[in-house]
Amino acid sequence: MTTGFVRASLRLLGVQASWNYERMTGLGMGYAAEPLLEDLKSADPARHAEAQVRSAEYFNSHPYLAGLALGALARAEYDLVPGSQIGRLRTALTSPLGALGDQLFWAGLVPATMGAAIVAVVYGAGGWALLVALFIYNLCRMGTAVWALRTGLEHGAKVGTAIGASWLPPAAQRIGLLAGLLVGVALPLSAAWLLQSEGAWELPVVAGTVTLGLIAAWSLGPRVNAVRFGLAVIGLAALLAWGLP
Amino acid sequence: MSLGPGGAIAGLVVWGTVVGVDLVSFPQGLLSRPLIVGAGAGMLLGNLEAGLRVGLLLELFALDVLPVGAARYPDYGAGTVGAVLLSTAGPWEQTLGLATLFALGFAVLGGVTLQWLRRSNGLALQRNAAGLAAGDAATVARLQFRGLAGDLFRSAMLSGAAVAAAQFLHARVPLSDRAVLVTAVAIGAGVAAAASGALRGAGRGARLRWLAVGVGIGLIAALLR
Repeated sequence: MTTGFVRASLRLLGVQASWNYERMTGLGMGYAAEPLLEDLKSADPARHAEAQVRSAEYFNSHPYLAGLALGALARAEYDLVPGSQIGRLRTALTSPLGALGDQLFWAGLVPATMGAAIVAVVYGAGGWALLVALFIYNLCRMGTAVWALRTGLEHGAKVGTAIGASWLPPAAQRIGLLAGLLVGVALPLSAAWLLQSEGAWELPVVAGTVTLGLIAAWSLGPRVNAVRFGLAVIGLAALLAWGLP
Repeated sequence: MSLGPGGAIAGLVVWGTVVGVDLVSFPQGLLSRPLIVGAGAGMLLGNLEAGLRVGLLLELFALDVLPVGAARYPDYGAGTVGAVLLSTAGPWEQTLGLATLFALGFAVLGGVTLQWLRRSNGLALQRNAAGLAAGDAATVARLQFRGLAGDLFRSAMLSGAAVAAAQFLHARVPLSDRAVLVTAVAIGAGVAAAASGALRGAGRGARLRWLAVGVGIGLIAALLR
């Protein structure tokens, strides 16, 4: 299954390419599963056909951790686990993998990486710092994806226990703390860097906008997201700047 | 690295397309973050400084967003590319605010086009229901590549539109001291966005304490610079 493993890993890089509201990442999973299920074709053609249908059914999780489910489900097909049980395993893995991945990557490693990159840019490291940040991030991402597929294939239907005992849950906690720290460092530094040649009168405008934004976010919640708030206040400022005589 | 006017414009469209596809479809390698997009666009225009400045400010807005599964989120890529081009129309103090407004507008548009693509993928899935029910691997592969090609097309169109709009506005940006007010508000809005995102993500536990420590370190570092 070595060739299949490599092909499946590469296909997982595009697991969300055909994302849709009906099956979400299901088609991407089906496409990535195909090389893993190849050996089943000659061993048990009927089972292979059923497995192919199942592999592209509804699925959604964090894309980087989808390999855990993909490997586990493929292994379960080879272990001749009943189809209904494989369906339940597929459903059961959706939420935990989504939540863990979001915590580890979207709310953890991504803000941590970007926080560090912002600090590096402020200190004049420029483009090289961004290349290093990209390299480290993708190393972590690819390493996790390969580990995930391997772990899924190794544990099959018992992958849930393997995930619980793995490095993932504690790492998700720790990376969140690092993200908090790095974004915290980046915030005042980036503001100071962007304001370096602003005049004295602009500072109260910036401070006022920050205060207004925090009050809006606190009192109105997710209805006022970053883009809506930005469009509203910058648009208003543009009207004031050029609309006034 | 400067490619000359025509080459740079073509390069910007290609770069905007690449980062647009990276956001969701392939390979999701962080290329679509505004800071990376801005730096790349700045390099193509031979003005890395402008790219970093626009990219950093838009990154503050992007730090507010979690691109979670079915959630609707903005696509900053094409807008950032156009904004970097727009920001080179004059002194950055006068152009950064308008460039940010431009990028945020395109980010919303990009998010809408993502919804269209997802609905289009769903329709294609329904048309191929028989093949999927039969477990036909070729049908799955065809739908997967159709989705990828659709995103490539979406990103190319969005990137082309952003670069064309930025180029159109480039000579028409109303440069004046009043524009500095817009830039100041844009910086404030970006800092507010990142701060509220960080606070929301931190909750009330240990992460909030680490965030507070980080802000303290950042403040001291900013004062020492």
